[in-house]
Amino acid sequence: MISRNVTIKNASGLHLRPTGMLCNEAIRYKSSIKFKSGNGNETNAKSVLSVLGACVKCGDQIEFVCDGPDEEEAMEAMIRLVESGLGE
Amino acid sequence: MFKGTNASSGIGIGKAVIVEEAELVIKREAVADKTAEVERFKGALDKTMKDTERMAADLATRVGEKEAEIMQGHLMLLMDPMLTGEIENTITGEGICSEYAIEQVCTTYADMFASMDDELMQQRATDMRDIKTRMQRVLLGVESVDISALPEGSILVAKDLTPSMTAGINPKHVTGIVTELGGKTSHSAILARALEIPAVVAVTDFLKKVANGDTVVLDGSEGVVYVNPTAEVEQEYSAKREKFLKEKKELEQYIGKPTVTKDGVTIELVANIGKPEDVEKVLQYDAEGIGLFRTEFLFMDRIAMPTEEEQFEAYKTVAEKMEGKPVIIRTLDIGGDKEIPYMGLEKDENPFLGYRAIRFCLDRKDDVYRPQLRALLRASAYGNIRIMIPMVTCLDEYREAKALIEEIKKELDGEGIAYKKDIQVGIMVETAAASLMADAFAKEVDFFSIGTNDLTQYTMSVDRGNDKVSYLYSPLNPAVLRSIKRVITCAREAGIMVGMCGEAASDPMMIPLLLAFGLNEFSMSASAILYSRKLITNYSIEELQAVADKAMSFVTVKEVEDYMRAFIG
Repeated sequence: MISRNVTIKNASGLHLRPTGMLCNEAIRYKSSIKFKSGNGNETNAKSVLSVLGACVKCGDQIEFVCDGPDEEEAMEAMIRLVESGLGE
Repeated sequence: MFKGTNASSGIGIGKAVIVEEAELVIKREAVADKTAEVERFKGALDKTMKDTERMAADLATRVGEKEAEIMQGHLMLLMDPMLTGEIENTITGEGICSEYAIEQVCTTYADMFASMDDELMQQRATDMRDIKTRMQRVLLGVESVDISALPEGSILVAKDLTPSMTAGINPKHVTGIVTELGGKTSHSAILARALEIPAVVAVTDFLKKVANGDTVVLDGSEGVVYVNPTAEVEQEYSAKREKFLKEKKELEQYIGKPTVTKDGVTIELVANIGKPEDVEKVLQYDAEGIGLFRTEFLFMDRIAMPTEEEQFEAYKTVAEKMEGKPVIIRTLDIGGDKEIPYMGLEKDENPFLGYRAIRFCLDRKDDVYRPQLRALLRASAYGNIRIMIPMVTCLDEYREAKALIEEIKKELDGEGIAYKKDIQVGIMVETAAASLMADAFAKEVDFFSIGTNDLTQYTMSVDRGNDKVSYLYSPLNPAVLRSIKRVITCAREAGIMVGMCGEAASDPMMIPLLLAFGLNEFSMSASAILYSRKLITNYSIEELQAVADKAMSFVTVKEVEDYMRAFIG
């Protein structure tokens, strides 16, 4: 299991469209991909509803936790996507 | 007459067609074969997803990719493993029918979204309820109302339009939309604007006041609706409709045209924006750049200061989207009138005369001003960014800010970070002091932008928000006009660019005067660009000199207003 912090950069935060991008990427990996945000709850990065429910805004820091056979690749992909601004 | 919210401009006249979805009766029924019930749910889910895909594709070709995103969003929700998993678990765990399981699970999520403190998230509640009803309708075999088959000249009347209903609208047949619920930013309002169908939303209890076949007249610009109006009213709006369509067509001809006066002077016609998303409108209305990008949005509604990185991304996005066209970005303009808890701003007795804008920023260099200026300089490598300093009253303030910018430039050089070496730094002229000292400022700064909203307020010593004194608030007041003229003259003499970014820049009574004074750049809300281009290209600056001289000879605001009103006709 590995974990890493990243700050949300895109202006609208984790709204529907950026969330869709994130989840679409997340479901490509076998490992479980979760993140913890400000409210302390654990969010399933493969579920649009779970991510939207976390109400993550621009500037918020989240901690990704990946666990499984391809956890390194999954983490790499998540961080890259968030840092690229999720299409915004 | 009924009042509502103006959601999509234009006049609609036609026959009311009330669209009501049959209320679904969802009962909690036990099922014996749970596995079969889960399969039944999966079948309905599959059909709903296929329908949604079809709607998304249809919207993408008929309206645009952006509008299709609403349906793609529904698809994302329908594909969510958490949602479908919970529904399946409810079916098997409680041994109940799919309809009820869907009702329970989707309603929980819809309520969660509705309770969030964020308008965009609250709209997800509408999406959730929409997909819920659609899945249930498939299960119950209830046909959806087919909006695409409405006859020509229909005014669509509904309690609320779900996104999937709006997606089926044929703009050739629907001449207007009236709903009881909704708001300016709801999906249906956005789609109505994209389809250019006049719409009024949030008309209270409208369904009780209208019947199928009634004549309905609506004005989507004003937000008013009439049911079975008198012949006079119908004629009046019919004429208004013709005029609206004619003007719209006429203004569209000005897209892509240069802003040049009859006597050959090129004017810069640019837009004011408040957030990066506004750029879309700027491009749509063909503005030639951005004359004022307010940066306050980055600092509002949040719990901590935005980082340099975050600001850099926002400024860079706008600069890149504008593809080399000028983008004037105003540094932070806040004071005691805004509540930003993390800033540590105390409530000011007189916030507009107090600790605000450049005064505040120069006092908070390390945590506020330096990160913003660094972000601006770094972003300047990606487009034509200019920096504008607000609420300057004396030269010392400008010099101090400029020195800080030079210091940061050296820092960036040392770190090998790119920026626009010859970046222009100008000031907003909006205080009486800056106006009186305009000749001295003009020798040092790269450009002026006259902020008429504040300049009028400070020159007339009037709070325009106070009804009892707001009659004093007019940029056509001789004192304000003299101030504006002086600022423009000083800039022209020193050979620097002078623009205006207050509301006066798009005021038809002000435009001829500003042209005559020699203003180079007019910055306004994007929707006013084309009309202003039409006005400017029809004037000759030379011919306007006599008009300006006459206007400046008056000593009361009434005389100026009467004269200018008669002049523009």
